[in-house]
Amino acid sequence: MSHLETALPWVRGRHSPLSRDQLMLLLAAVNQLFLGVDTYLAHSISGTIRPWEWTPIVFGPVAGLLLLVAGLIALRWRTPAMGIAFVTLLASVAVGLVGSWLHWQRAVLPAAPAGQTLAVYLLVWAPPLLGPLAFCGVGVLGMSAAWIERPADSGRLALPWGRSLPMPFSKTRGYYLLVGLGVLAALLSSVLDHARTGYDSGWMWLALAVGVFAAAVPIVLGLMPHPRVDDLRVYLGTMVLLIVLGTLGSALHVEANLVGEGVVIVERFIRGAPFLAPLLFSNMGLLGIIAMMAPTEEWG
Amino acid sequence: MRTFVVGIVAVAVVLGLALIAMTVGRSVPQAPQEPGTVNALARSSDACVVCHQRATPGIVEQFGHSTMAAAKVTCRDCHEVKADAPGAVAHEGTWVVNHPTAATCGKCHAAEVAQFSQSRHALPAFVAYAGTGALSKPLRAQYDAIPEAEFQPERMRNSLFALEGEEITRFACQNCHDVGKPAADGSVGECSKCHLRHEFSLAQARKPETCNACHIGPDHPQWEIYQESPHGIAYATGGDKWHWTAKPGTLTVNDFPAPTCATCHFSGFGATGTTHDVGDRLTWYLFSPISKRRPAWQDNRTRMQNVCRTCHNENFIKDFYEKADVATEKVNKWVQESDEMVAPLVKRGLMTKAPFDEPIDFTYFELWHHWGRTAKFGVWMQGPDYTQWHGAYEVLKALSELRTQVQEKLHGAGRR
Repeated sequence: MSHLETALPWVRGRHSPLSRDQLMLLLAAVNQLFLGVDTYLAHSISGTIRPWEWTPIVFGPVAGLLLLVAGLIALRWRTPAMGIAFVTLLASVAVGLVGSWLHWQRAVLPAAPAGQTLAVYLLVWAPPLLGPLAFCGVGVLGMSAAWIERPADSGRLALPWGRSLPMPFSKTRGYYLLVGLGVLAALLSSVLDHARTGYDSGWMWLALAVGVFAAAVPIVLGLMPHPRVDDLRVYLGTMVLLIVLGTLGSALHVEANLVGEGVVIVERFIRGAPFLAPLLFSNMGLLGIIAMMAPTEEWG
Repeated sequence: MRTFVVGIVAVAVVLGLALIAMTVGRSVPQAPQEPGTVNALARSSDACVVCHQRATPGIVEQFGHSTMAAAKVTCRDCHEVKADAPGAVAHEGTWVVNHPTAATCGKCHAAEVAQFSQSRHALPAFVAYAGTGALSKPLRAQYDAIPEAEFQPERMRNSLFALEGEEITRFACQNCHDVGKPAADGSVGECSKCHLRHEFSLAQARKPETCNACHIGPDHPQWEIYQESPHGIAYATGGDKWHWTAKPGTLTVNDFPAPTCATCHFSGFGATGTTHDVGDRLTWYLFSPISKRRPAWQDNRTRMQNVCRTCHNENFIKDFYEKADVATEKVNKWVQESDEMVAPLVKRGLMTKAPFDEPIDFTYFELWHHWGRTAKFGVWMQGPDYTQWHGAYEVLKALSELRTQVQEKLHGAGRR
C-alpha cells in the first residue's frame, strides 16, 4: 500500500493514469518551462539581458520540450527516451551549477578591504545565489524519476546489462529528502529576498515559520525507515500547507506590485516582488504529494 | 506525531535564533548595509586601478564605492576602445577615450539611453545654443523626431550665445546645455551630467540638488520653487529618512513620502513606469514664450497624474490642473501683449537688427524668458512667491516698462 493510501484510506483502489515517476518527469518538464520564464523575468531586472544571461532562458523551454518528447516516446522506446531525458537533466544540473557560480561571483568583492569581501548584505543584494540551483533541483528530481528502482522501494537502482546500484535510501525516502532539501532551498531564497524589505510584513514571518516546518518534516520523514500513519498525515498536511502558502505568497506578491486602483505596470512585476517565486513552495508541496504515490513502476 | 513535533521544534529553534540575531544586531554598531558602501577596489591588483590609485586616487575611490564596481564593471569596460574609435588616445599599450559617450552607457543601459535620446535633454538642449547647423544629417533627422524640434531652432536660438562668445559661454550656457551635445561617435548626450562620475550613485541622481546644477536662477528657478513648495519642504525636513537607494521601478510612498524632481519626472512611481525622457509627463511647453500643449499631452498628463494620485485625490488633481491651465493661459496673454506692443516697432523698422544692444531688447526678452516662465513654473510646481513676486509681478512691471519704451520709440520716430 502506498504512503498516500495509508494516510488517506479513501483513495485506496483509485488509480492514476500516470505512474509516480511519470508524474515526476512531467512535473520536471513543466518546471523547466516555468524556470525559463522566471529566469527571463529575473534577468530583465537590469533592463538589458547580456548574452550569457540568455542561456538559462533558452535552456528552460528547450529542456521542458525535450523532456515532454522523451515522456511521449518512452511509451514505446524506453531506452532512447531515457537517454534524452538523462542528458537533458544532466545539462540542467550543469546550467544550475554554473548559474549559481556566476551569481556567487557577483556577491563577493575579492578586492574589498579584508573582512569585507563577503558579508550577509552582499548575499542579500546580489543576484539570488540559490535561484539557479532550481535547475539542479529539477535535474536531480528528473534523474531520480528516470532511474528505475527494482524491486520497488528496495533502494536498488536498475542499471544496463542487468546490473544494479544499491542506494542508502529507497526511492520514496529519497524523494522525501529531496522535497525537504528543495523546501529548504526555497526557504533560504525567500529569506534572502525578504531581507531586502527588512521583514516589514507579518506575512514574511509566516512564510519563514511554515517554510522551516515544511523543510523539517520531509527530512525527518525521509530519515524514518518505517513512518507511522500519523507521521504520513502530518507530512501530507504539511505539503497541502505548502501549496496554500505558495499560492498565498504569489497573490501577495502580485498585490504588492499592483498600484493605485489595481493598475498593472509591467515594470513593477519585473523589478518588484517576484510573483512566480512563492509558487516554488506550491511546487514542492505538489512534488511531496506525488512522492507519496505507489512506487511500483508499470511503464516501459 | 514525531514528524510534527520535530517540525515544531525546528520552527521554534529557527525563530528563536532569528530573534537573538535581531536583538544582537540592534545592539552592535551598524555594518554597511548596501552595495557601494564598501570600496570594492581597495585591494585590487588591476593595472588601471593600481596606477590610477596613485595618479588620480579620487576617481578610483569614487568608482570603488559604486554599485558598478560591485557588479564587476571595470575601467576598461567603459574607457577602452578600438584604435580607430573617435577620440581614441594611446594609453599604456591600449586605446582609451577620456570621456565615454552615451553609446558606451547604452551597451548596458539601452532603454535608458534610447529614452534620453528622444528627450528635450538631448539634442534640443544642444540646439538651443548651437543651432542646427552643427548637426549631421542623421542627427538632424533624430532632432526633427523630437517634439521640441517644432520650435524652429534658428528662431529660438538664443542669440546671447553668439554675443557673449565662447570665452564666457563655455563656463555658462554650454555647461548645462551640453547635456545634449552630440559625440564624435554619433551618440548624443552626457549621462554624467546627472549621474556624476565615478560613483554613479542612485541616491545622488534622485536628489533634487543634482537638477539644481542647471534648473536654477532667474530663467528657470525650479530649484528655488521646489524649495518653497510643500514637496520641497517635506524633502528638507524629512528627506534624510527616505529610501534613496530603493530599487528602481518599485518605488512607493513608503520610499518617498513626497516627491523630488526625479520622482515626478523620471522614476517609476505609482501607476507610471520609469523613463529617461524628461518631457514624458509634461502637458505644456512651458519653456517657450507662449506656451502651447505638447503633442499627446493627454497621455503625458495621465502619466504625471498617476504620480500625483499616490498622495492626492482625484478632485484635488483635477482642480489643480484646471486652475494651472488657466494660469498658464493668463501668462500667455501677457506675453502675447508684449509681442503686440513690439510689433509696430518691428514693422516700422524701429528695432535695431543687432540683438541685445538697447534696453528694450532686455525688457522684451526678460519678460518671457525670466518672469513669464518663472510665473508658469511657479504655478505648476506650487511655489507661490515665485508665481507672484518673481513671476507675475515682474511680468506686469516689464509690460509697463516695455509700454513706455515702445511709446518713446514711436514718439521719437514720429518726431523724425
